[in-house]
Amino acid sequence: MNWCRSVQSLVKSAFSGKIRQESSNYAQLRYMSRVKSRHTAPRHFWMKKERARYPEELSSENEAFLREVVSDRYESPLRHHPPAAPLAYTPGVRRCGLVARKIAVQPMWLSNGKYVNTTLLHVADNHVVGYVPPEMLNQNEVVRRRWKEQYRPLAGLVVGADQEDPTKFTKEYANMFLEAGIMPTKKLTRFTISPEAALAPGTRLRATHFQVGDYVDVYAKTRERGFQGVMKRWGFAGQPATHGATKTHRRPGGIGSGAQKSRVWPGQKMPGHMGGQYRNLRGLKILRINTKHDIIYVLGHAVPGDHNDYVLIHDTVLPLRRRKEPGTVITDEEAAQLPEDIFHPDVHQMAAPSIVF
Amino acid sequence: MLRRRTRIEIPEFYVGSVLAVTVSDPQAPGKTSRFVGICILREGHGLRATMTLRNAIDQQGVEICYPLYNPTLQKIEVLRLEKRLDEDLRYLRDCPLEYSTFAFDMEPEHAADSGEVPVNPVKVPLRPRPWTWRWERAGMKGLIVPELREDFYERAKKVSEPWHKYDLMREYRRSVPVEDQREIYAEVHEHVQSLETDQRRVRRRRVFVAPKKTS
Repeated sequence: MNWCRSVQSLVKSAFSGKIRQESSNYAQLRYMSRVKSRHTAPRHFWMKKERARYPEELSSENEAFLREVVSDRYESPLRHHPPAAPLAYTPGVRRCGLVARKIAVQPMWLSNGKYVNTTLLHVADNHVVGYVPPEMLNQNEVVRRRWKEQYRPLAGLVVGADQEDPTKFTKEYANMFLEAGIMPTKKLTRFTISPEAALAPGTRLRATHFQVGDYVDVYAKTRERGFQGVMKRWGFAGQPATHGATKTHRRPGGIGSGAQKSRVWPGQKMPGHMGGQYRNLRGLKILRINTKHDIIYVLGHAVPGDHNDYVLIHDTVLPLRRRKEPGTVITDEEAAQLPEDIFHPDVHQMAAPSIVF
Repeated sequence: MLRRRTRIEIPEFYVGSVLAVTVSDPQAPGKTSRFVGICILREGHGLRATMTLRNAIDQQGVEICYPLYNPTLQKIEVLRLEKRLDEDLRYLRDCPLEYSTFAFDMEPEHAADSGEVPVNPVKVPLRPRPWTWRWERAGMKGLIVPELREDFYERAKKVSEPWHKYDLMREYRRSVPVEDQREIYAEVHEHVQSLETDQRRVRRRRVFVAPKKTS
């Protein structure tokens, strides 16, 4: 959308007063709807993550020795444990989110008898890997240029999920996790946070980071649909199936704009690759949290992605859904005493008696 | 599912059985509504399992689909436990209404506990065409399809897929394999004992006979 804003400002400066009077000209400004930003190759600034696997033909003793080294390094009781507990929600402070996997869609009934679908998001093995101070965050450069009077620096918190055997990764990638003291993770992501919400590297993040009744936003990659035609991709109407329509039933039809603009506008909707895009789904209510397996049950079944795909969850940005009261910090000892399932009061628990009106 | 079954007894029934379902309804008088009907369809798995009951009320066919684990269901009674020749009785929509009519004050029929569920071999005739489905192609055993023009059967033969009966993977996907069944029964077995005591408690609570005043 930055691209389109710059186009608008360009046109505005060229037709400096006229643009407001002739509303038809202004209405004709088109910009790419659903800007396609799919990156199939790793970005140039990313480091190499996985190393080439070739048959090393290690003896069984050497393999056992390697496993011993890994367990000594990561599971030793002498390992330094970070003192800080995860941060509870504070109004006005932006805190980090969680990396989860979408594992199921299960039905649930509310206490008024209404049937709803809930998506299960499994928060597996989340650890804080590092902290990015405001000076190093690239976004702050852009923010500072545009909103000088409202400038508030934001920091970053790198979170990793799903620890994996360190032998599968390059040394460069594995060294990023030394400060946290955890094994390298399969998924690594960064959350933009307020500097006050910084956490120590190595902090374990669990599903109790959120509370039942909270609203969260979910950011995930949509399902791949491959090369799709214009009817499925953009919702075009197509042409009639009968009444003489010759070899034209699902085509886009005309793509021109008229005599004045005797060319095709950039961003003209055409067939192409569909899906595999990162999308936000905002304002999902948490109906239930399973503390034993770290699963968050979120209202709705439209969470982007396929089974077992990664999903980023964070406190909602919607102003009317943000909580006004701060949350409670749950330490590890308190977390052990929590019940296995925490339900929202609106949800009917199956162990409870049948609903009577 | 097991936790819900401690609160309501979901009895054994099949497509073709006659059931009476009591549901709590905020709009109904007395806040409950009871429906009696023949089970024509059972779909879904797990918490999404549903059953569809059909009855004819005032010469109007009525079908209601109930999710079995819906917490507003108060009681499920089996008035007649039996099976039919088919696992899907949606053809009753195109049959005379007398075959879908069941009285609301029907008494539960207790069959002799022989251990096997009786199969009702009734064959239901169809009303004259038009139908909701091409019943000449469906191959329903409990249905009497009248003789049609030849071109119906020619077209049926053209679109038929007779190789399905040889497709082992299709049958494997449709049914629960024996290995998985054993696993599931082993899991459920631990809870069955406690479930039975809970269900006995629920049954006892229902059967309450008010004491009669004797002079």
